[in-house]
Amino acid sequence: MSGVHARGVRRFHFARDVEEALSLLAAYEGRGALLAGGVDLLRSLRVDIEGLIDITRIGLSYTKEARGGLAIGGTTTLTSILESRAAREYGGGILADLLHRVAVPPLRNMATLGGALVSAHPWADIPTALVALGAEVRWQGEKEGRVPVEELYQGPFRGLFRQAVAIEVLLPPWDGAFAYEKVGRTGYDIALLNACCGVGVEGGRIAWARVAVGARPDRGERLPWAEEALIGQRPSQTLWQEVQDLVAKRIEVGDDRRASGAWRREVAGVLVERALARASGRAGM
Amino acid sequence: MKLLFELNGVPQYLDVEPGERLLRLLRRLGMKSVKEGCGTGDCGACTVLVDGRAVRSCLMVAPQVQGRRVLTLEGLGSVDDPHPLQQAFLDAGAVQCGFCTPGMILVAYELLQGNDDPSPEDVRKAIAGNLCRCTGYVKIADAVLLAARWKQEGKWR
Ligand SMILES: Cc1cc2nc3c(=O)[nH]c(=O)nc-3n(C[C@H](O)[C@H](O)[C@H](O)COP(=O)(O)OP(=O)(O)OC[C@H]3O[C@@H](n4cnc5c(N)ncnc54)[C@H](O)[C@@H]3O)c2cc1C
Ligand code: FES
Ligand code: FES
Repeated sequence: MSGVHARGVRRFHFARDVEEALSLLAAYEGRGALLAGGVDLLRSLRVDIEGLIDITRIGLSYTKEARGGLAIGGTTTLTSILESRAAREYGGGILADLLHRVAVPPLRNMATLGGALVSAHPWADIPTALVALGAEVRWQGEKEGRVPVEELYQGPFRGLFRQAVAIEVLLPPWDGAFAYEKVGRTGYDIALLNACCGVGVEGGRIAWARVAVGARPDRGERLPWAEEALIGQRPSQTLWQEVQDLVAKRIEVGDDRRASGAWRREVAGVLVERALARASGRAGM
Repeated sequence: MKLLFELNGVPQYLDVEPGERLLRLLRRLGMKSVKEGCGTGDCGACTVLVDGRAVRSCLMVAPQVQGRRVLTLEGLGSVDDPHPLQQAFLDAGAVQCGFCTPGMILVAYELLQGNDDPSPEDVRKAIAGNLCRCTGYVKIADAVLLAARWKQEGKWR
């Protein structure tokens, strides 16, 4: 059981803006932490953390349309994304599909998109979807930058967000639809495996395809060879099954205490097949 | 540090340690309906509403409710004057040991605030994160559906 009291914490700040959050963070020299929903941070707070810097009241909570896609503020709660009109239509309804599978309502009332992006547990749902969707994150630290989430996760991103704020997540427009699949022991348990797939069609043939699988047990990654196998083909149940077999043959999976690699290999194909079938249905194929 | 917030409709202005969990503060203020089951966000026994939304008070520190409205079961009804949801839990036989009950009632309250006519599936999804070791959940779901019916009939507050 975690302590009822975060013993090391000596001060709590409501940052007024990003600049103040960053200067407070710098002043603590590693003994301060940015606090968003707190679901992850306070669940197992490091004992050396002395200062909590709340960033939920600096105007970074919004979901809006941006250049045909979406821009979602770093401290937007998962519930408020679910309730936003702009998010409803995006990617054939992928955000509702995804977020309804993340934890349960009271935790979604607390957890933020930025917190999910940064905590990025290998089994987590949101990173797999962000990678599949080609999301980018805009961040601000000593410098400012914008980076695809897929690229971010290949580098030392935890170090970056010890000195920077995730300002906004940008989701690009897609002419087509996505679907999210997750399997856990119960509806509420974390994923044993998850998958996010998207497809778009032009002139009866698949023009683009995105396939990402997570909790392998490693964090969600795209399977470019599965995407290549789809592009240029005519959408059909037979094609989804061919890709299912291909995924089961080629995907890199491993064992952990939750599931065996052999089980994951088998199930990865099934989840990809289901996600493709649902995504194509939503895209009106 | 100084903390100003509203607890069950009553303004509170008091000193808290910046690292004090909200769960512990609320119990210290006499709100014993707020239980610690797990302390890690998994069980829902510590659920309270902050500005009308259900949250896990074990995963919050007290300063996070600065300027907010907090509702615990004590603010919903009492033994002498139970809220319709509390009465529905009694009538449906949805309470055994009672440890999960405050959290169950508060997530149900949040659900019914936004949805007068929930399906059994909606109810199951709303309470999915609140663990009960006694009832098997069937009567809890029945109680929430009963309360929803009362709400539609105007028996609500
Ligand atoms: C009981 C339980 C069940 C869960 N179930 C699921 C599940 O089913 N699926 C799933 O994917 N996840 C699940 N999670 C994990 C949860 O979704 C994530 O931990 C959550 O999204 C974190 O968001 P937060 O806002 O609470 O982050 P916080 O706890 O506030 O922060 C997490 C980390 O990110 C940093 N941070 C936060 N925001 C920013 C920002 N804008 N810029 C820079 N750094 C930042 C913090 O400093 C901290 O290091 C579960 C967690 C719990 C406790
Ligand atoms: S005590 Fe908070 S969720 Fe269990
Ligand atoms: S009634 Fe005992 S835990 Fe639910």
